[in-house]
Amino acid sequence: MASRLYQWIDQRLKLKPLEQTLLNEPIPGGASWNYIFGSATLFLFGLQALTGMFLMVYYVPATDHAYDTVQYIQHEVWGGWFVRGLHHWGASAVMMAIGLHMLQVFFDGAYKRPRELMWFVGIILLAIMLGFGFTGYLLPWDQNAYWATQVGINMVGSVPLIGDFLVKILRGGETLGALTISRFFAIHVAFLPAAIMFGIMLHLFILRRVGPAGPHDEAKAKAGSETFYPRQVFMDAVVMLVVFGIVSLLAFSVEFPLADRADPSDHSFIPVPEWYFLFFYQLLKYAPGAWGPLATWLLPTLFFTGLLLLPFLDRNPERQPSSRRVVLGAGLGFLIIVFGLLSISLRDLYAVPKRDPSVVRGIALVEQFHCKTCHRIHGEGVNVAPDLSFVADRRPDRDWHLQHFKDPQSVSPGSFMPKFPLNDKQLNDLTNYILTLKSE
Amino acid sequence: MEDGLSTPVGTRRSFFVKTTVFISSLIGISLAVPLIGYIITPAFQRRKKEWMSLGKADALPVGEPKAMDYTMTEKDGWQETQTTKGVWAVKQSNGEVTVFSPICPHLGCGYRWDQQDRLFKCPCHGSIYDLEGTVKAGPAPRPLDTLPSKIENGELLVQYEEFKSGLAKKVEL
Ligand code: FES
Repeated sequence: MASRLYQWIDQRLKLKPLEQTLLNEPIPGGASWNYIFGSATLFLFGLQALTGMFLMVYYVPATDHAYDTVQYIQHEVWGGWFVRGLHHWGASAVMMAIGLHMLQVFFDGAYKRPRELMWFVGIILLAIMLGFGFTGYLLPWDQNAYWATQVGINMVGSVPLIGDFLVKILRGGETLGALTISRFFAIHVAFLPAAIMFGIMLHLFILRRVGPAGPHDEAKAKAGSETFYPRQVFMDAVVMLVVFGIVSLLAFSVEFPLADRADPSDHSFIPVPEWYFLFFYQLLKYAPGAWGPLATWLLPTLFFTGLLLLPFLDRNPERQPSSRRVVLGAGLGFLIIVFGLLSISLRDLYAVPKRDPSVVRGIALVEQFHCKTCHRIHGEGVNVAPDLSFVADRRPDRDWHLQHFKDPQSVSPGSFMPKFPLNDKQLNDLTNYILTLKSE
Repeated sequence: MEDGLSTPVGTRRSFFVKTTVFISSLIGISLAVPLIGYIITPAFQRRKKEWMSLGKADALPVGEPKAMDYTMTEKDGWQETQTTKGVWAVKQSNGEVTVFSPICPHLGCGYRWDQQDRLFKCPCHGSIYDLEGTVKAGPAPRPLDTLPSKIENGELLVQYEEFKSGLAKKVEL
């Protein structure tokens, strides 16, 4: 049935020669598990495109709806949490796949003549992918999104002369708000996809013109070629299944949380960037004073220029690793720095005890209403009213506290604590904080 | 084929081909199921029916229709909107209360109560109904639609529903 249909179409569209060129591309030295990184990246990109389209079905890029629509996707639409999870974990996976792909090309010297253009386009593709990561991060409009984007935009602002101008263009105005979210959305779902499709096509076009690099071992490459189909395609498919399995498993088992709704007035929030920006985030901690602005823009610029120029800087035509000690050593040094920074950063992040944001707000309320002018909490404040250091040991009952804050007399008659004008959210935050005050 | 270019043959080849096809279908199906569900489920979700209070039932005069409204929160995707709905409540002579949907069963206009003729009249195409909702004149295909209602602790409660217009039978939307 399928072959009859194929024949019918083939008679009209003459597909046979096309099939030959597409599938019988020679792989020098034969199919290999070394070559799967590019197709894994392409597959993950496809997965991002697909899940992204589906997320767009319910997402609204406006400050007053974005957060609600993401909540709706996460908690109400059937399968929404899974689609969002795939998109989130897929984003991480695609970055990893790109990193591995680049490492492989770097190690194999596959960027050398005649493949300089392919490397060049590849670096542009990397920049576009980082653009996807940056613009996508803002879209859920939660605290993390808002403050991390604020930081990212300010880094752009450190570029000399045109920094301020660039920042305004990025934000679409004076502040991060409605105009920012709508332009980030448009960039994320229309401009960048158009650019990346073109880039991917170009990347693949060049690949087909110059052919795959094959093994760096001359003898192996000379030994003969194998067609792309079916063995390399089979290997690619197996890897895609494994990658898909990992991403879906993560999407299935690790919920990607949504922080509180973005609140531009809450300056206590400390945003954390995506892991693939973490090493850079850590690096900035070591750039003191006047070096800070230089690190925020000069280093990335140098990094990208270095990558773009790599094939022209490294003019040694040799691809054997043994005869490229300097370049490979530099690459290794770079990796050690990146992973060193990444691990320090991760260690620091886990060392900071994560506080419930609601508890943090509760602490702020204690300051705001000057509770410590009467109460003592862990050595701070005055002992006019009861010491609250371990109050939750005595009163673990949530309702009691809620009632107490609303009207102290009603639960402890004779108390001289005044009524404070708290709204429900504040009551809740304050109570959450009070309930953490116990001995452990 | 070119010199030096090889390709697997025989069972080896068919193993690669078959596995590739199997893997792509596996990925395809595992994506298709959640994605299709994701897209269609909200389209088939029924609105939640809740009992809404119209106020004290005692206040209703017998045989005298009264337009009563209540505000309800309607959930439209991720958006919640407050809408006010008006319904007609009539206390029949036997003391039972009938609540009519405010929408004319002909093509969906809002009808009114004519105090003088003591009849419900629809301005659009002239359908006329009596106090029990029976069609007295005009193109209306069925009597006025009643809404589920009950009295609890003296309060008149109603469930809002909408029906397809133009049919001889009452079919819920
Ligand atoms: S809609 Fe009421 S008579 Fe036609």
